[in-house]
Amino acid sequence: MTATDAGAAVAPETIAEITQVLYEEAELLDEGRLREWLDMVTDDITYQVPVRIHKEQTGASRVTGVQANSFHLDENRTSLLMRVERIETGFAWAEEPPSRIRHMVSNVRVRSRADGDLDVRSYVMIYRSRWDRPHYDIMTAERRDVFRSVEGAWKLARRLVVLDNTTVPMLNLSFLF
Amino acid sequence: MTQLGKRTTTAPSGYQLLQDMAAMLRQGEAPAAIFNDPEIFAIERERVFARSWVYLAHESEIPEPGDYVLRYIVDDPFIVVRDADGEIRALHNHCRHRGMQVCRSEAGNASNFRCPYHGWTYKNDGRLVGVPVQKQAYGDRLDKDALGLIRIPRLDAYNGLIFGCLDEEAVALDEWLGDIRWYLDLFTLRSPAGLEVIGAPQRWVVDVDWKIAGENFIGDSYHTLMTHRSMVELGQAPRDPKYAMYGEQVRIPGKGHGAMLIGAPPGTNLPPFWGYPEDAIERAKISLPSREQFDVAYQTRIMLGSVFPNLSIHNPIRRPDHHYEGNVPMMTLRVWNPLGPGRIEIFSWFAVERDMSEEFKKLSSWSYLRSFGISGTFEQDDAEIWTHIARNAGTFTGRVQKVNYQMGVDVEPDPDWVGPGVAMPVNFTDANLLGFYERWLELMLG
Repeated sequence: MTATDAGAAVAPETIAEITQVLYEEAELLDEGRLREWLDMVTDDITYQVPVRIHKEQTGASRVTGVQANSFHLDENRTSLLMRVERIETGFAWAEEPPSRIRHMVSNVRVRSRADGDLDVRSYVMIYRSRWDRPHYDIMTAERRDVFRSVEGAWKLARRLVVLDNTTVPMLNLSFLF
Repeated sequence: MTQLGKRTTTAPSGYQLLQDMAAMLRQGEAPAAIFNDPEIFAIERERVFARSWVYLAHESEIPEPGDYVLRYIVDDPFIVVRDADGEIRALHNHCRHRGMQVCRSEAGNASNFRCPYHGWTYKNDGRLVGVPVQKQAYGDRLDKDALGLIRIPRLDAYNGLIFGCLDEEAVALDEWLGDIRWYLDLFTLRSPAGLEVIGAPQRWVVDVDWKIAGENFIGDSYHTLMTHRSMVELGQAPRDPKYAMYGEQVRIPGKGHGAMLIGAPPGTNLPPFWGYPEDAIERAKISLPSREQFDVAYQTRIMLGSVFPNLSIHNPIRRPDHHYEGNVPMMTLRVWNPLGPGRIEIFSWFAVERDMSEEFKKLSSWSYLRSFGISGTFEQDDAEIWTHIARNAGTFTGRVQKVNYQMGVDVEPDPDWVGPGVAMPVNFTDANLLGFYERWLELMLG
């Protein structure tokens, strides 16, 4: 779903609804309410953050270097659950004490798909601060999501995170995008 | 309680620190300042990184003529490229005209590298073949044959692992590696089809010294139970402390290399040969150079190996997630590339035998991604801890402290070990770390 291969337009109410879902999702992620976040994703979710490299344009798109076969995260529901349960042990030192994380979500675009799901694209800027120093890390990305209506609630069925970084400027990726 | 010692004016300078360190190492100690010090770093880049064989790439990353990847030794950029004749080269990414980087993508395929500044153009073997309006601009003065891209002084490969060296006078790669080759074979020669590195590496920057990161892979299984306690709690690493203690720790004397080979501790139920399927084990029987190597591999469930200075390989039996039934091993190659005092860039690759099924490769990549690498549920916590060691090592009071390598000082080598090197029959020992630092110090003072 880009400006050139967009699916069908959706009603403004749907866009408002999905935007609200994304904001609520960000709240859960930023407050570490990860069990509740897991309730927002489908059982068959695919969640991927590909490695991106600095690369000249070779095809039609100027969004280059997004790797098809190497990832920073390549998750399904069980592995996401493992990450959540790991935090819950209290021994996940990377996030204990927790980072201060803020997901700034914007540029939400929604299109309907032939299968009835929604293609949702959004930009995210993630601010992260750790320890007692004023230093902070920022990453930005485009999230290419598929949302599905399950028993009246919109659930995340797919997320592909297109990073704006090649070499990642953080010591680890201990959070979700 | 230990009091802070009386401090004489300032802490020792880089060279003094190294002089003092020789005696400290004999006591199983080292100065913390070596982990975050501008002078030490300056000496390291000259005496360690400009003299050592440094890992650059795996041959499978550049299978076709023209394939290249951009790699670094500290901050020196090299184009590691398979030229039109199939020969692998490492070319300094530095135009001979005004010093611009002529290769401007991290990876790809190119017959030529053309400088975007004035257009000097080099074949993928490094020869200068094009100078715009050469006749009008230079007449007959320009000796193009003498102005090719500079080749790395030394380049060689072992079982597909490509190493480069900035020192023309360095010993041959085979001699540099020495007996660690026997252990590298265990990683790289399990299949007649060879090893395949899949995709681009994860790259990320961590405020830590390269030696601290390397320690974990050379000879520190002792940290597993505490650092990785979250994953112990989830059953992804055994709770039994014997697990981290169990196994053989092997060092290659005088070389600084090391390996850890961990089998199944008594009472555990882990399948042999990292949990590979039967047909893969049969292929390994044919492929591994010696019966002894196969027998050692057969008993191994977790193996780590490090080539001095900054290549590490980690190869454990694992599960893609904590509910997965069964075991799928994974392998990751690492370079801890120093960027400055107390700062590194990590390159992390995923590797697997080329002839494994696509299904196995996918599961193995999950075993890797979800435990190691930038988002790994184990490695996230390593990075968090490392940064604070480096932070302390750079402080006024921290830099005069010592770090401790006295674990297992009374352990005697295993007389029955079949492989080369000196093997300790237990992993609760700092023997490999001391071997690494002895080699490091030798180069630093040399």
